[in-house]
Amino acid sequence: MFFFTLFVINVLDKSEFMKINSIQQQTQNRNQNFKGSFVNSATNFIAKHPMAIAGLAGFSVVAQKVVMSGSEATIGAAMDMAVGNTIAKAANEKDGRTKESSKVQAVRTAAQSIGGTATGVVVRMGCILAASALLGAAGAKAGEKGASKIASIVNPEKYNSKKDAYLFDREIKRWGKSVGGAAAICVMMVTNFLLDVPFVNFLNKKMSDKLLKNKINQNVKEAK
Amino acid sequence: MALNLASLIKKFNPEPEKAGKILLMLNAAGMVFAAASNTVAAAKDKNTSAEDKKFLVPAGAVTGIANIGLYYLFTDKVIKGLENGAENYIKNMNKEKLSDKALEYANNSIKKASKSLFKKSDEYISSMKATLIDNGGKATQKAKEIFAHDLKGGAGVLGAFIGAVVGCSVLTPIIRDVSAYFVQKKMEKNNPELQTKQYRPYFDPIHIRKNAKHKYQPLSMKSYMAFTNKGMKV
Repeated sequence: MFFFTLFVINVLDKSEFMKINSIQQQTQNRNQNFKGSFVNSATNFIAKHPMAIAGLAGFSVVAQKVVMSGSEATIGAAMDMAVGNTIAKAANEKDGRTKESSKVQAVRTAAQSIGGTATGVVVRMGCILAASALLGAAGAKAGEKGASKIASIVNPEKYNSKKDAYLFDREIKRWGKSVGGAAAICVMMVTNFLLDVPFVNFLNKKMSDKLLKNKINQNVKEAK
Repeated sequence: MALNLASLIKKFNPEPEKAGKILLMLNAAGMVFAAASNTVAAAKDKNTSAEDKKFLVPAGAVTGIANIGLYYLFTDKVIKGLENGAENYIKNMNKEKLSDKALEYANNSIKKASKSLFKKSDEYISSMKATLIDNGGKATQKAKEIFAHDLKGGAGVLGAFIGAVVGCSVLTPIIRDVSAYFVQKKMEKNNPELQTKQYRPYFDPIHIRKNAKHKYQPLSMKSYMAFTNKGMKV
C-alpha cells in the first residue's frame, strides 16, 4: 500500500512536473517565435530601406528630442484625453472630474513638450558642438609628442586631421555626440530650473486661457 | 585632473554599432534626473501638508520609476530586435551585393557632403573619396565596414526613436493618468471628507490665477499630477 501510494505520488509529481515543464517550454517557444518574427520583420524592413536606415546613424540626441517632443505634444496630449475618458467611463463617474482633469493635463503635456523642446534642443546642440570642438582639438594631436591621454582615447587610430579628414571627423563626431549628450544632461539640470519651468508655466497659462476658457469661467462662477 | 577627465571620457565610448544604445542611455539618464528633480520639488512643496506628502511623494516617485523602467525595457528590446535584423541582413548578403550597397552608400555620403547646407571642404571630400572608393571605382574594404556599422547603428537609432515616441507619448500618459486616479481614490478612502470637503487649490493653476480668494477645491487627478510633475524635463 505504502509503495503504491509512493508510486502514485511519484507519477502525479512527474506528470505535474512535466505539465509545468511543457507550459514553460510553450511560453519559451512563444517568446522565441515572437522574437524571431520581430527580427524577421525588422530584416525585411531594413532590406527595403538600407540607405535611409544607415543614414540615421548620424543622428544625435538633438534629433531624438525633436521626435520625442513632437510626438508628445500631439499623440501624448491625445492619449491624456483618451485615458481620462476611459477612466471616467470605467469608474462610471458622474461629476466628470477625471475627464476635466485629463483636459487640463493634455494642455499641460503639450505646453511642457513645446516649452521643453526649445531649451532642450539649444542646450544639447551647444554641448555637442562644444564637446566636438574640444575633443577634435585634443584628438588632432594624437601621436605627437606631449599629446594628452584624451587624444589617444578619441583618436586611437591616430588619424591625421587634414589627410584623413573624413575618418578623423567621423571619429570625433561620435565622441562629441556621446560626451556632449551626457554633458547636456548636467547643463539641463540647471537650465531646467532657470528657463524651462518659468517658460513652461507661462506657455501653460497662455494655452489654458485659450483652450479651456469656458471651463475657467465656469470654475469662477461656481466659486462665486 | 587631466587623467581623471580622460578616464571619465573613456566611459562614454561610442561604439559605432551602438548608436541606439547610447541614445537610450542618455534619454533614460535624463528621465531619471527629471523624475528626481520633480520628486525633490514635490517634497519641498510648502503648500502641501507633511501628512499628505508622506503618501504623495512616494507615489510620485514610484510612478516615475515605473515609467522609466517600462520605457527602458521596451526600447531596449526594440533596439536589439532592429540591430539583429540589420545583422541578419548583412550576413545574408553575398560579397558582391554588399560591395554594391557600400558603394551606393559611399556615393550618397559624398553627394551629401558636397551639396548640403553644411558643405564640406574640397580636402574633406577628396579624403572621403580616397577612403571609400578605390581606383577601380569599387567600394573599399573600409567603405564596406562603414556601411555595415552605419546600418546596424542606424537600426539602433530607429529603435531608440520608436521607443522614445511610444514611451513618452503612449506609456507615460497611461502610467501617469492611471496612477493619479488610484492615488486620488486612495486619498479619498483614507480621508472620506475629501469627497465632499474642499481641498487645496495650489495645484490647480486655473484656480490660483482666476480666483485667488477661492481657497479650496476637491482633490482631483490634476492636483496630483501637477504636484508630482513640476515641469522638470531633461
